Amino acid sequence: MKSFDLKKQIARMGRNRLVPILAALLWTGSFAFAQNVVRGTVTDENGEPLPGVSVVVNEGGKAVTGVMTDMSGQYSLSVPAGAELEFSFVGFQTQTFPAGQVPGSLTLATDILQESVVIGYGTVKKKDVLGSISTVREQDLVNRKTGNVVESMQGMTSGVKITSSGQPGSGSAIQIRGIGSFTGNSPLFIVDGSYGGSELGLNVDDIESIQVLKDASSAAIYGSRAASGVVIITTKKGKAGPLKVTGDASAQLYWLPRYDLMDAETYKLYDDRAYEEAMLQGVAGVTKTQNHFDGDTDWQSEMLRTGLLQNYNVALSGGNNDIRYYVSANHKRDAGALRYTGYEQTGFRINTSGRKGIFEFGENFFFTKSNTQKLNTATGWIWSNFIAMPPTIPVYDESHPGGYGYGDPDRANTYALNPVGYEELYHAENGQQYLYGDVYGLLHLYKDIFSTKLNVSYKNYFGETSSLRKKGNWTMGQGDDAASIGYSTAKHDKLLIENTYNFDYTVGENVINAVAGFSYDTFHEEYRGESKLNPLTIGDRYITSISSATGTQTATGSYIEYALISYFGRLNYSFADRYLLQLTARRDGTSRLPAGNRWANFASASIGWRISKEPFFNVPWIDDLKLRANYGTLGNSNIGAWDYVSTLNTAPRAIMEGDDKAVGITLSNLTNNDLVWEKKTTANVGVDLTALDRRFTASAEWFLSKSTDLLLAAPILWTTGNEGGAPTVNAGSLQNTGIELELGWNDHVGDFSYSINGNVSTLKNKILKLGYDSTVSYTSTSISEVGQPLGMWYLYKTLGIFQSQEEVDSYVNAEGKIIQPTALPGDIKYDDYDGNGQIASADRQVVGSPWPKLYAGLNVSMAWKGLDFSIQGYGRFGHLVYNGAKATAGDFVNNNNNFRGYKPWTQEDPTTNTPRIIFGDSRNSRGDQDRWLEDGSFWRFSDIALGYSLPASLIKKVGMDRIRFSVIGKNLITFTRYTGLDPEFADSGIYSIGYDGCSFPNPRSVQFAVSFTF
Amino acid sequence: MKRYIVCFACVLAALSVFSSCGEKYIDIENGNSLNTSMYWKTEEDMNTNLIAVYNMFYRQGTWTRNIYTQLNGMADDGVSYAGWTELNEWTKFKYTNYNFAEGQAKIWREHWTAVNRANQVLDHIDDPNIVFANEQDRLDIKGQALWLRAFYYYYMVALWDNIPLLLHTSSAGDQPANSTPDAIFEEMENNLVEAIGYLPLTRTKERARPTKGAAYGLLARYYAQHHKWSDAAKCLEWIVEGEGKSVYSLEPKWEDNFNNKKENNVESLYEIQFSLVNYVGFDQTDNYRDANAQLGTQIEVNQSPKGTGWNNVEGNRWIVEYFKREKTTDGKNDPRLFYTCWYDQATTDFPEHGDQLIYGKTWSDGYSDSGNRVFIKKYSTDVMPLYYWNDNNFRSIRLADMLLLYAEVLNEINKGPNAKAVEYVNRVRTRVGLPTLAESNYYDGAKIASDYAAFKEHIKIERALETAFECIRWIDLKRWGFDDATLKDLQKRDVDYNYFVLGKHERLPLPQRECDNNPNLEQNPNY
Repeated sequence: MKSFDLKKQIARMGRNRLVPILAALLWTGSFAFAQNVVRGTVTDENGEPLPGVSVVVNEGGKAVTGVMTDMSGQYSLSVPAGAELEFSFVGFQTQTFPAGQVPGSLTLATDILQESVVIGYGTVKKKDVLGSISTVREQDLVNRKTGNVVESMQGMTSGVKITSSGQPGSGSAIQIRGIGSFTGNSPLFIVDGSYGGSELGLNVDDIESIQVLKDASSAAIYGSRAASGVVIITTKKGKAGPLKVTGDASAQLYWLPRYDLMDAETYKLYDDRAYEEAMLQGVAGVTKTQNHFDGDTDWQSEMLRTGLLQNYNVALSGGNNDIRYYVSANHKRDAGALRYTGYEQTGFRINTSGRKGIFEFGENFFFTKSNTQKLNTATGWIWSNFIAMPPTIPVYDESHPGGYGYGDPDRANTYALNPVGYEELYHAENGQQYLYGDVYGLLHLYKDIFSTKLNVSYKNYFGETSSLRKKGNWTMGQGDDAASIGYSTAKHDKLLIENTYNFDYTVGENVINAVAGFSYDTFHEEYRGESKLNPLTIGDRYITSISSATGTQTATGSYIEYALISYFGRLNYSFADRYLLQLTARRDGTSRLPAGNRWANFASASIGWRISKEPFFNVPWIDDLKLRANYGTLGNSNIGAWDYVSTLNTAPRAIMEGDDKAVGITLSNLTNNDLVWEKKTTANVGVDLTALDRRFTASAEWFLSKSTDLLLAAPILWTTGNEGGAPTVNAGSLQNTGIELELGWNDHVGDFSYSINGNVSTLKNKILKLGYDSTVSYTSTSISEVGQPLGMWYLYKTLGIFQSQEEVDSYVNAEGKIIQPTALPGDIKYDDYDGNGQIASADRQVVGSPWPKLYAGLNVSMAWKGLDFSIQGYGRFGHLVYNGAKATAGDFVNNNNNFRGYKPWTQEDPTTNTPRIIFGDSRNSRGDQDRWLEDGSFWRFSDIALGYSLPASLIKKVGMDRIRFSVIGKNLITFTRYTGLDPEFADSGIYSIGYDGCSFPNPRSVQFAVSFTF
Repeated sequence: MKRYIVCFACVLAALSVFSSCGEKYIDIENGNSLNTSMYWKTEEDMNTNLIAVYNMFYRQGTWTRNIYTQLNGMADDGVSYAGWTELNEWTKFKYTNYNFAEGQAKIWREHWTAVNRANQVLDHIDDPNIVFANEQDRLDIKGQALWLRAFYYYYMVALWDNIPLLLHTSSAGDQPANSTPDAIFEEMENNLVEAIGYLPLTRTKERARPTKGAAYGLLARYYAQHHKWSDAAKCLEWIVEGEGKSVYSLEPKWEDNFNNKKENNVESLYEIQFSLVNYVGFDQTDNYRDANAQLGTQIEVNQSPKGTGWNNVEGNRWIVEYFKREKTTDGKNDPRLFYTCWYDQATTDFPEHGDQLIYGKTWSDGYSDSGNRVFIKKYSTDVMPLYYWNDNNFRSIRLADMLLLYAEVLNEINKGPNAKAVEYVNRVRTRVGLPTLAESNYYDGAKIASDYAAFKEHIKIERALETAFECIRWIDLKRWGFDDATLKDLQKRDVDYNYFVLGKHERLPLPQRECDNNPNLEQNPNY
């Protein structure tokens, strides 16, 4: 009888989805020992039932019988005493239990070595990976329930920095291995093999896995656009089996942190003091304290509320060997934590694939429609305004046009804006639609050794913004503006055609895989805008039809278009599973560079050595040990469509006399017409280790990357008269080095399984060259100098506070010149860095670095029976950040509010770091002093999640396979000494890393979710 | 094996098809706009290029807004009590952030843009491949561009002194070094002399374009500023006694120089034309890509009284007191006071005007808590309620100013006032009903008419009152020079001068960003 290779046969049956029950019956029928019946359920790490797991009874090392789990992951068979039960399934770790100790519900862990990793135009076994790739798997995503793709990766991988903008419906910024480029350090997003974008409105619930390709060799196949790394997203596909329905619903309550500001009473006290001091000092124009308004407004309470984010999702999937399908629908509704903001999104996804003989086809469609009610201003504005707006001003004031309170020269002399008035008088809404379609055909030729694929993907986007500006004022000194309505649209089409050829061949111990292909990618976007003054009103109601408005009408329109053609090839070769080699080459042509400079070639090579497979290697506790190294070059041309062309501005008009208007044309934006490809060369050395029965994993990397001919829209001198933004230039070279370490442990003790994954990384950058042959470049707060990191803090250094007139008089330079002769006790003492006896621009100095010394992330999860718990955190350490909120408050030099517990210097109580307060005199509150810098280190537990799955036996009765409840707390615990709202903020550009200009803080939330499968 | 060959042949065929026409697919033209290689070919191009220079008047940093605050605020006639501390300090010689946008960076940046636009015209205007129907039109365009460039340099030097001298279209990587006021003056002198040859005596339409008179006026200012008295006199002579005499005369009603009813009048040598023809929403001034951007001025909202507009700049009280020292021949207050200032006693000082409304409110209703503050009325219109922009042309060079300058220049040349000098002062005085100097009931007319120093001192007063808040006083003060004595005098009239440090504050600091990023540019002394 040939039945002795039983395990294999059952496993094959599982793969082929043959009638497992029949097999089970057959086998149980042929043996007749006295035995116990064992029943149980097998699930994966998400608690999803695993059908088709082979459950084999071993006696004396031989398989004697076995069954396969059914569609609900359940099995039942008789086990003789003294036998062992072995559970195995492709891609999962095999587990064995002695009869009598078999857990009723068993979780099979993914076999991390067999797991496949998507590397672009193909996959590779995780164990054979030669580059630096981090993976976020489905189970990590499922439990997190984040709003968008990028946030779902937060803290899960090393070397990846993610900053969320905090606003409903808006994306997050992502950076891989720091700043390697000056132009958009956002990585390339590949969704199911097509170029996507993090903005795609992709439903996180549809994602199966995310791979982050960090080094040149991994990303090389994507060549020109991959210089900042690649994020490959694979969405869920149908699996063979009967219809499976999954669904979930969640509700998230969230809120935004608030400044701890003074109330009106306290504010008046300090404000009066600042005015009295000003009068004493004879500050011009100050003759009396303010006759304060009698409001007591907490502007934050007026604008902030508890947000509610609801998310509903349902997916249907299934199929057989010939055809598979996956259909999902999603609805999200977000009532923002900031009043007047909100977001609503509805979308669906359909994908199917089929195969007959050598021909395979598939398609993937998704559609998303969203509507955002947004703030009509930059995000930083609202937060700085909470500080700038005195609490004495009432929200409403009937005496003003429109009825909102705001500044008054004698009562609250400020140009701050009433946020309630602004938002109520000025509405803006943004609707967006994405349609994304991808169709492919695949021919498997010659026994699957050779295949070719033609892939066409198309994305269509339509966005519209409409605004209504009603009549009324929100700030002091505002003119009598007409009401207006505005409507603008942006739409784009993106087409990608790709043809690839795949070759897989194994001869003896030689495994060869080769890919070659070309792609053509084109993008066209149109913008239109119109606005009209004086919309028709009926009573209080504004008619928002442009046709019915009566005032001046304006219209604008433009388009951009670009294309990229690429030829590429990759060869993977391995010998005896020990020696691995990967070669990649690519040739790209872009329309964004001038003719003659459009084409460039990029190549990379990787080698790997699996020591653990060497005959001499004999360390029993190590399962797998691999050394790898790679070197390669990538390119970037991620600049504007026509940055190399000098164009004319035809907008200038001038009045010749009366209302006689003439048309002008001028060259106003200067350009560099000799732009070339930016190139980034990376060397990467790493080691991967799996040990202790695959319970322990470790991977360590060192990398050095050097970017040359960096493309940058570098600000140029104002004397050039340039207008229209900084021209793009090949602006120098930058070097990044870093170490990344990822460690993981996962194990189980009986029913209790747990895993701990941590990562730490360092990143250092250095400027090698700057554009236009300069050696140094400054902003108002930072310096970027060749040989040094970008954007170092360059500020006036403060040396505390003058406590007495004697101290002022004795603060002299080497020649005895009094350095701050006009200072008084209570004023800031500035460091006379150049020793010339006065405080002037040459006294600015490097006072610290905005770059974290260390980045870290930690992810712990555990499960016991139906309960699961996970906690996730990340942090950045050892950097200085600029607290823009404090600088905005500015010590009562203007009438801005300040923070509770504020303690300025007084003669009576001089023990403070805060200077005396004086209105209308900015000597102590200048923005470019180091008093606003703070240690920005933080550790944040971003996610704490607790879940419970109802016992299978219970829900089976109602026809369900799985029901899970969960509670997730986000950003609830943060350890930091930073006194700003949030140590994790969106910075304001590469030269201002660490500049927190009253950035929108990250929300904190508690989320309740339920998910089910049947 | 045959199958393999077919497949590889397919691959090769596909690849070669794309490589052969690949270049075509990535050659995409920008159809949004003209590119520079298509421009500067025709007469029409030169015309439109020139209009773009005029367009620079309509910017916040030029004649829409900030230059008024800055020039009037620094001078002793104006003062800023703006609630915006940084703005207000910037006119008080208290400079903290050298990149301050409002009073500094915008003015600097936009003046250089204007210069760059003028340079574009001048770089191409002599190109013989550009055919003009009438060669005189080429010269007219050249003259206008030369004049406009000189006009912008004049104000830049007044503010910063040691700026670069740029005479050609900029390139992105330019890092120009400082020049000196003298070197710039020499170049501009030549430019204006040349422009005088090209510009017409008068224009019957499109009076935004300068004439010979505008060029003589600007050149006279340049000469006077550099104490080239006899050269200045020649220009002023042309204006007052020469050809200009047939063109320019004093407007009978003084106030017609500051309202939008009588623009481009006989007194005007050059004015900047404003209109509300582009009437759009909030702050569209600096949208350089918008063909509908505003073409009005914000002078009114900028200087309107506190609680009404921005009140970025207002008057010092001495202006009112000085006006009131002298009565007209019929015993009334100087009518110029009424049209120059809004202040608490206007109703009693000018009973004939009744209780006048200030943007819809009387002083006692709306401004009674303003004490003795003086708000600027010059250039206000009767629009109600106040809008961001108004269409009142700014009279940049007018005859009264030229007459007083001529008198001053003659006094310098002759080391004492001659009859002409006295006559020109009297002409300015009698137009508003004041007695001649000799008949003055307040000043010692005889001494003034005979003594160099007395005349010079008196001219300072006449100029202050006649041209208050017209962006002239700061430049006058620079011409007259700063020393300990003048500083003490200034401090009596304007407390801002308590912060003035000799050898430093005669000029603004250069924007820090420019000095930092341009190794060839040196910061002004003592900053």
